[in-house]
Amino acid sequence: MISIQTLGFSYPGAGFRLQVPVLSVASGEKLAVIGPSGSGKTTLLNLIAGISVPDSGQVRVGETTVSQLGDAARRNFRITHIGFVFQDFQLLDYLSVLDNVLHPYRISSALTLNRSVRQRALELLEQMGIVDLQAHPAHSLSQGEQQRAAICRALLPQPALILADEATGNLDPDNKQLILDMLFARVDDNGATLLAVTHDHELLPRFDRVQDFADFRGAAT
Amino acid sequence: MMDSLYIAWRYVTWNRGKTLVLIASITLVAFLPLALQALLNESERQLRTRALDTPLLLGAAGSALDLVMNSLYFDDEVPARIDMRAPAVIDDSGLAYPVPLYVRFMARGAPVVGTTLDYFEFRGLQLAQGRQFALLGEALIGAEVASRLGMGVGDSLVSSPDNLFDIAGVYPLKMTVAGVLADSHSPDDRAVFVDVKTAWVIEGLGHGHQDLAKTEDSSVILRQEEGTVTANAKLVQYTEITPENIDSFHFHGSAAGYPLTALLVVPEDDKAAARLRGRFIDDARYQLVRPDTVIDGLMESIFRIKQVIDAVIVIVAIATLLTIVLVFALSLRIRRDELETIFRIGCSRMTTARLLAAEILIIVVASATLCGVLLWLLHVNSAALVQGLILR
Amino acid sequence: MSIECHSRFSLASVIQWVVRWTVCGLLLCTCMSATAADRLVVYTVNYPLAYFAERIGGEHVEVHFPAPSGVDPAFWMPDAETVARYQRADLILLNGAGYAKWVERVSLPQRKLVNTSSPFRDDYITSSDDVTHQHGPGGEHAHAGTAFTTWLDFSQAARQAGQVAMAMKKLRPAHAGVFAENYQRLQRDLLQLDARMLEITSGKPDLPLLASHPVYQYLARRYGLNLRAVTWEPGSYPDASAWQVFKSLQAVHPAHWMLWEDAPVDKTRESLLGSAVNIVVFKPCMNRPAQGDFMTVMQANIKAMAEPFNVPH
Repeated sequence: MISIQTLGFSYPGAGFRLQVPVLSVASGEKLAVIGPSGSGKTTLLNLIAGISVPDSGQVRVGETTVSQLGDAARRNFRITHIGFVFQDFQLLDYLSVLDNVLHPYRISSALTLNRSVRQRALELLEQMGIVDLQAHPAHSLSQGEQQRAAICRALLPQPALILADEATGNLDPDNKQLILDMLFARVDDNGATLLAVTHDHELLPRFDRVQDFADFRGAAT
Repeated sequence: MMDSLYIAWRYVTWNRGKTLVLIASITLVAFLPLALQALLNESERQLRTRALDTPLLLGAAGSALDLVMNSLYFDDEVPARIDMRAPAVIDDSGLAYPVPLYVRFMARGAPVVGTTLDYFEFRGLQLAQGRQFALLGEALIGAEVASRLGMGVGDSLVSSPDNLFDIAGVYPLKMTVAGVLADSHSPDDRAVFVDVKTAWVIEGLGHGHQDLAKTEDSSVILRQEEGTVTANAKLVQYTEITPENIDSFHFHGSAAGYPLTALLVVPEDDKAAARLRGRFIDDARYQLVRPDTVIDGLMESIFRIKQVIDAVIVIVAIATLLTIVLVFALSLRIRRDELETIFRIGCSRMTTARLLAAEILIIVVASATLCGVLLWLLHVNSAALVQGLILR
Repeated sequence: MSIECHSRFSLASVIQWVVRWTVCGLLLCTCMSATAADRLVVYTVNYPLAYFAERIGGEHVEVHFPAPSGVDPAFWMPDAETVARYQRADLILLNGAGYAKWVERVSLPQRKLVNTSSPFRDDYITSSDDVTHQHGPGGEHAHAGTAFTTWLDFSQAARQAGQVAMAMKKLRPAHAGVFAENYQRLQRDLLQLDARMLEITSGKPDLPLLASHPVYQYLARRYGLNLRAVTWEPGSYPDASAWQVFKSLQAVHPAHWMLWEDAPVDKTRESLLGSAVNIVVFKPCMNRPAQGDFMTVMQANIKAMAEPFNVPH
C-alpha cells in the first residue's frame, strides 16, 4: 500500500532532516510507528499524505506516486484516499457531530455529499456508538466520544489508507483500548491500511508490525 | 458555495457575541451617515414647506432666525416683542392682512400659541372634534397634543408658570379645550392654540376678579378715592375663566401696547409683498422677512456643519473598518489549528478563503439587512422624529 | 265623450300640471337658493348698526343681531354657541368706542370685523363718571371709560353707516351700486335728523339739562347740550343717597328737564315733578324697539326734545 524509497526532507532554515531509506506497508496491514518526540513521525505522515513534498526520493500510496503529484492533485488524492485521525481530535466546535463527520464532503469538490453519504455517516456513528449524539455540538462530547467522531470523519470517504497521529494520546487508559478496538474494527470493515504513529508501547502488541523511528535517521543532523 | 455558506453560517451563529458586535459596528457605520442624510432631508423638507407656506413674517428688529423658528415652529426661544401697533401698520398699508402671534408660554409641554381665528383659515387647519375657541380662556389643541395627553373636548389644561420661583410673575391659567384639530403633519399638531387675548391673560395683562366697586369685603381695598378704588394684594384673581366669571375679565392699559412675538403677513399678491418689503427695509423697529429665505440660510449652515460631520463619520468608519479587519485577523490566528486541520484533511487554500469570505458575506448581508430595516423604520417615522426631536 | 276618454284626458292634464309646477318650483327654489347663497350674512353688536345694515343691504343681506330683547347689548355676554354664529358671519359690525365689552372676551375673525366708528376714533369721549379700579402700588393704572353711544350724534351715525356701506361694497362689489344708493338715502335721513336737532337746540344753548344715565355724551357734544348725568334706572326708584346726589347736583345745575332712556316709574316721575323736573324720554335705541324702527324712535326722541327748548314739533 505504502512504498517509500530514499526519502529525504528538511524544513527550510531548520536543522532537522528526515531520511527514510525504505519503508513498505502492505495493503490491509496495521503498522505502528514509534519514536521519540521530534523524531519526525508527523513529518513522515505529512509526506505520505502529500501535505509536504520530499526533497528527494519518492512516496507511493497504492498505485499513485504522491510525491510527484501537483498541489491540487495531492489534495484531491488525500481527501479521497487517505483518512486522518489526529491526537487532539480536531473537531470543529461550531459544528454538530454529524456535520463534523460530513465536513470533508463540504470542503472539497472531489467528494460529493448526497443522501447515501449521509446514510453511511449515520451508520458509522451507530457503529461507533454515538449516533444519538449526532446533533450535539462536538465540544459537548467526552474525549472518547470526540475521537470516535473523528474516526468516523476519517473513514467516511472510505479511504484506502488511515493515518493516525497519536490517536489515543489524549485518552485515558480505558478509552485507549476501546478506541483502538473501534478503529481496528472500522479499518477491517473498510479493508483499509492503518499507519499509526504512537509512543504508547502498551498498544504495540495490537499492531501487525512496529516500525521504530530509530531505524531512520530523522533527528537533527 | 452552499456548503461554504452552511459552514460559515454555523460559525457565525456559534460565535454570537463576536458576530453581533461586528454586525452592529458595520450597521452603525453604514446607517449613521445615511440616517443623518435622511433626517436632514426630512428636516429640510419640513422647514421649507412650512416656510414656503408663510409669505412674510413681521417681528422686532433682531435675529430673523429666532423670529422664524418661534413663529413657524414654535421654538421656545422667544424673540423680542412687538406690540399691537404692528397689525395696524400692516392693515393701514392696504397691501396685506396681519395674523398676530404670541408664542411665549407652555402648557403641559406644548407651546401655547396666542393668535386669532384667521390663523386657522390661513393654515388650512381643520377641526377633528368640537369647535373653534369662542370665549376667553378656551383652547384648540393640536392632534399630537390630544393624543399625547389623552385629551378631548371639555377637558382642561393649565398653562405652565414661566418660573417656579417668580410668584409675582406669570401665573397659570386653566384653559378649557373647545376643539381638537385634525392631523396636519406640521408643528401645529403639537401646539395649544388660544385667542391672543387669552395669552395676554396668562401674561397678566388681563384678569378677572370680584367687582371692587360692589365688594362687601373691605379687607381687599387698599384705598378708596372719588371714582377710584385701589385693591391690595389680597384680592384674589381668577385662574380659570368660566361662564360665571367671564364678565369680570378685563384688560388694563392701552391695547395698542399689548405684546406680540410676530405677525404673519399675508400680502394680496407678489407685487404687494415686494412693496411691503420695500417699506420695511430701513425700519429700525421692525423686520419683515421671507421665511423661506431665512430657512435657506439656515440649511446652508446646517449642510456646512453636515460636511464636517460627514468627514468625522468617514474617519470613524475607517477606524471601525480597520478594527473589523483586525478582529478578522485575530480570529484567523485563533482558528489557525482549525484551518491547518482542514488543510491536512484536503481542503484547498481557495476553499479556505471561500469559507472565510462566506462568513464575511453573512455578516455584511446581515448588516445591510439591519441597516435597511433601520432606514425603512427611519423613513416611516422621519416626519414625526424631525418634528419631535429637531423642530420642537 | 266616453268615460275612458275623459279619464285619459284628466290624467294627462294632471300629469302635465304636476310636471309644469314641479319644474317651476324647482326653478324658483334654484333662484331662491342662489339668492340666499349670495346674501351677505351680517352680524352686529347693537340695533342701530343692524338697522343701518338692513337699510343699506336690502335684499342682498341677512342681518343678525342676536342680543335678546330687553337686554342692554352693551353689557350682554353671548354664549359660546352665539359667538360661533358670529364667527361664521361674512361681516361683523362693531360700534367701537368700547361698546360691547364682550367683544374683548371672545374670539372673532379679525378680517371680518369692521369698527364703524374708526373714522372718528380720535374724537371719542372719555367718560369720567365710572368708578374705576386699580390694583396695588406698582400695579396696573386705573382706566377711564369711553362713552359709546356714538350714533346719538347723527352726523357720526351717518359716518358709521358709511363704513357699513364701504364694507358691504368690498364684499359684494356686484351690488355696490345698490348699496351706494341705499346708503345715500339713509345718510340723507340721518343728516335730516342731525339738522333738526341742531335747529331745536340752537335756540337755548345753555339750557341746563339732566340725564338719568351717562349715555348722552355724544348727543350733548354735537348739539351743545348743557347736560349733567346721574346714574338712575327707569325701572327702579332712586334711594335716599341717590336723591341726595341729585339734590346736590340740581343746586349747582338748576335743570328742569331730565332726559330718560325710557319712561321712569310713576313714583320717580312724581318725585321729579315735585322737584320741578320734567321728563323727556330720549331712547338711545340700543336694542330693537318693540314698535317701529331706529328712524321712528329717533324721530320721536327729537320730537320730545322740542319741548324743553320750546320749539314747535
